[in-house]
Amino acid sequence: MRRILFIITFLAASVLSFANDNIFSPPAVPTLVADNANVFTNNERLELENKLNSFSNKTSTQILVYTTTDLQGYDIADFAQRLGEGWGIGQDDFDNGVVIVYKPKTDSTSGEVTIQTGYGIEPLIPDITCKQIIEQEMIPSFRQGLVYEGIDNAVDICISLIKGEYSANGNADTTGEGSPILGLAILIAIILMGYPIFGAITKKTEGKKATFGQYLIWVLAFILNILLSSGRGGSTYHGSSRGSSHGFGGYGGGHFGGGGASGRW
Amino acid sequence: MKKKGCLIAGIAVGIILIGIISIVLWYIKTGNKIVRLDEGVSESWAQVENVYQRRADLIPNLVATVKGYAEHESSTLTDVVEARAKATSVNVNPEKLDAASLQQFEEAQGQLSSALSRLMVVVERYPDLKASQNFSELQAQLEGTENRISVERRKFNEVAREYNTYIRQFPASIVANSRGFEKKAYFEAQAGSEKAPEVQF
Repeated sequence: MRRILFIITFLAASVLSFANDNIFSPPAVPTLVADNANVFTNNERLELENKLNSFSNKTSTQILVYTTTDLQGYDIADFAQRLGEGWGIGQDDFDNGVVIVYKPKTDSTSGEVTIQTGYGIEPLIPDITCKQIIEQEMIPSFRQGLVYEGIDNAVDICISLIKGEYSANGNADTTGEGSPILGLAILIAIILMGYPIFGAITKKTEGKKATFGQYLIWVLAFILNILLSSGRGGSTYHGSSRGSSHGFGGYGGGHFGGGGASGRW
Repeated sequence: MKKKGCLIAGIAVGIILIGIISIVLWYIKTGNKIVRLDEGVSESWAQVENVYQRRADLIPNLVATVKGYAEHESSTLTDVVEARAKATSVNVNPEKLDAASLQQFEEAQGQLSSALSRLMVVVERYPDLKASQNFSELQAQLEGTENRISVERRKFNEVAREYNTYIRQFPASIVANSRGFEKKAYFEAQAGSEKAPEVQF
């Protein structure tokens, strides 16, 4: 019985969290480097990821590097804006996200790259600066086949321009505001309603009372479920593990207004 | 017997009172939600106006730069300046975003868009202008602004749709009608508006 309950709760969680299969919905496992076009080696990807994760943990500012061979018919700037808004790159309160989308050059199509800035980044990295980064740093590298170097350089420049503007505090409170009371209320409700029901069910089917441990696990599963399936405002995704220097805690619900620049080669 | 009648009457009055109170509470709550959604639409409209204003603000600089290199194109430049004046003079009341006022806004901004694109065609003939630092900076800003315009139009439509859906659904529609909340107009999807217009120089 306990197993069935577990299966049901986790199935519900996964359906709620990942029902939308759209590319502009956040991925199941949040990451800041999505190399769909396979342009990085394993080491390059890890190095970039570490850099972006630690910048995110220190400053709450998130930079997403996304590579793809298919823009699904969108203009690259539009694609990146939708991606940033959909995944919620940066924090909801600061809109401090940056999205870099790279599409490799093929025989029949030109290569394309864009840097899109969240509302909160626009004053720090104006469109002209994005254009300069693309034309003076990225495209010359890409022309020589140095994809990682071009993107890594651009990331470094962005980091140096943003540094000092936002602190990690923006990140720490993403799931905290107002929610302790809510969490407590949910807990009390569960204790009041769930325990007798659960006890009755287990008694009937297994012929013995549920231990306190079993009950605790069930409650924790339920709470985890609620946390996972309802982000703030119901539309953004929140990861639950934060704090380690290399791990990534999840997207913050930042917004994008179309600022930035694009280029092709 | 009399006591029993009193009790029943008391219960009936109590039930009616609770009913009235909950209807009033529901009415207030629904009204507040509509106000909140309405505010969201106004806010979103302000963003739309912002990004169009941003484009208008770029134009004097753009015109001055082009003038320096292309003196013979004064008629195209005059068109742009006039269309800009017209576009900035259109004022839309954010409380009343109906189809007519939105269309008026669209027309004026559309004229400016086409005057601008004519200017950009003309610019092709002046390689010195295209190569200038000032112009390439303006180009980057104009591109970013056109992107912002399409993003804010899309966001406005999303927020307006949420508001419209809510106020037209029963039973919230009762509250909306009694308090005079009206449906908001949408931006029409122009041909290719899914993609940000590409500014070609």
